[in-house]
Amino acid sequence: MKLFTKYSRVNIIASILALLLGSIGYYFVIRSVLLHQLDDTLKIEEAEILSFVKTHDRLPEPANYRDQKIEFLPAQSPVPRKFINTTRLDEHHQEDRLYRELLFSVMAEGRLYTVSVSMSEEETEDLLEWIMLITAAMILLLLGCLFLANRLLLRRIWQPFYGTLEAMRQFNLSSRKPLPARDSGIEEFRNLDTAVEQMTGKILKDYEMLKNFTDNASHEMQTPLAIINSKLDLMIQDQGLGEGHLRQLQAMYDAVGRLSKLNQSLLLLTKIENNQFEHTDPVALASLIEEKLVLFEDLIKARGLTVDTRLDNGNLRMNTYLADILLNNLLINAIRHNQHEGEITIRLSENDLSISNTGLALPFDPATIFDRFTKGSHSDGTGLGLAIVKQICDNYGFPLSYARQGDWHTFRIGLPLRHLSPASIA
Amino acid sequence: MKLLIVEDEQTLSDSIVSYLQQKDFICDRADGYTSALEKIDLFDYDCILLDINLQDGNGLELLKELKTNRKTDGVLIISARNSLEDKVTGLQLGADDYLAKPFHLSELGARVTAIIRRRNSAGNNLIHLEEIHIDTQARAVTVNDRPLDLTRKEYQLLLYFAYNKGRVVSKNAIAEHLWSDETGGAANYDFIYTHIKNLRRKLVDAGSPDYIHSVYGMGYKFAL
Repeated sequence: MKLFTKYSRVNIIASILALLLGSIGYYFVIRSVLLHQLDDTLKIEEAEILSFVKTHDRLPEPANYRDQKIEFLPAQSPVPRKFINTTRLDEHHQEDRLYRELLFSVMAEGRLYTVSVSMSEEETEDLLEWIMLITAAMILLLLGCLFLANRLLLRRIWQPFYGTLEAMRQFNLSSRKPLPARDSGIEEFRNLDTAVEQMTGKILKDYEMLKNFTDNASHEMQTPLAIINSKLDLMIQDQGLGEGHLRQLQAMYDAVGRLSKLNQSLLLLTKIENNQFEHTDPVALASLIEEKLVLFEDLIKARGLTVDTRLDNGNLRMNTYLADILLNNLLINAIRHNQHEGEITIRLSENDLSISNTGLALPFDPATIFDRFTKGSHSDGTGLGLAIVKQICDNYGFPLSYARQGDWHTFRIGLPLRHLSPASIA
Repeated sequence: MKLLIVEDEQTLSDSIVSYLQQKDFICDRADGYTSALEKIDLFDYDCILLDINLQDGNGLELLKELKTNRKTDGVLIISARNSLEDKVTGLQLGADDYLAKPFHLSELGARVTAIIRRRNSAGNNLIHLEEIHIDTQARAVTVNDRPLDLTRKEYQLLLYFAYNKGRVVSKNAIAEHLWSDETGGAANYDFIYTHIKNLRRKLVDAGSPDYIHSVYGMGYKFAL
């Protein structure tokens, strides 16, 4: 649950508990204080009676007011002085009322009397009631204000945290700077920010090193190949070369070409794995496929292939360069591993891209088709084309599958094609 | 035409100079950032071949130099890194084209020639090869003033030959040029043969001598 909710819950329960216990204690203390006050009043009455008896040696008039009663009862023996709580009938309201009574003995006119001075606790009760009511109201007010203050204050206090959280969410490797620590005045958040800044700084540095590695590796490996290639280009200009020479040179050309392509593919694979292609755009797949078919029309015609397409319009949000490579590799595959006068079928729909081609059965285990360097012995590809396709699909979470039915090889990719709005088609 | 080749790999720059000198280009060389900077400050070039991976500096900085000094030298970036970012940055900084290593010298030659053509005044869109006239702006070819109907690939092929006339161009180079190496690896060159055959036939049928010579097993040469 949210921190605020948990905090509030704990806070309120603790407050209520404390206030409840406090209130109960408060009640008893106030009650005892008020009773004490009552007792003091009774004691004053007692003192007055005793002084009267001493002075006049006779009993004063008994009193019978609604809230105060003084009675004199003849007694045989002295009674210990004590305070008691009794109930008496209130004639006025016809109900029993609680009275605080003080009993003591006095001698007057040579006779022993038990004096009872009692006062109604009604006023006390009323006072207590009022006190508790006001206290309860104050408690509620306190809780209410606490709750509101929490709500307002907490939200404001936690702003820097949410700010940092949002910044972390937005962070990606293509930003050049680590997340800066903001000064929020609250130590914990400042610490959090500093830790995040250091972490993102390190991540960026590692990433830079990785990118530099792949770029430099490319440079180191391609330069010697470039030299060989250029020397071959110069050599073939020589008029004095014989057939034998030229054949050897052609073989060298081919080998250098293969090596170079292999190198580039491996580096591409590494870069894709490292998410070095972050930027995305909405790619119109249908038109890209059609462009490629035009580009390869010679190869298609050379093998006498028929191509059947059914392409829905729509955009796929991905890196344009990777989309190009993806389609390239799949189409070249379908062309290259086809039979003479074979067929290619391409279907692009809202959830699905499938490219099928006729051709001989795979000379290797179909389960390894997306592995690196898996290829038929007669194939002159690098063996990395489908591995690259798989890596791209993995990066975007598109499910990629291969199936064979009869003469047909089918590659299927699950992808979310967003349809163009009418405005953008126009 | 004056060229500056900025390349710190000696053997490679030797090859480039060798190849291009034969095409009547005057070639200056710079083997690093500092020497390149000196040369571009002193001279104007029709095209600069710029390797951006120099030992003593980043070639892209030279592009900025050219821009600040408002120079109109054409720039072809050659790079072994084949990094998409470099390509985009380079083109944004004003380079005319980007070629990744390893490349065929004939491809290099074609691109340099194309850049120089574009940079020069608009009138220079015509290529004359004896009877054959090519209008690069209209993408139209005439033989003896009669228009020739060529497919897109055939036109590209003819232009490629024109830019590399008198030189042997390997089949590999042609394949890379026509399909920008999308086919990958040692491809089947039968379709190149078909295009050449068609192009030759069309040229000859229109009355031009057959300038395209086969170099056994290697490639072709367009020799006037």
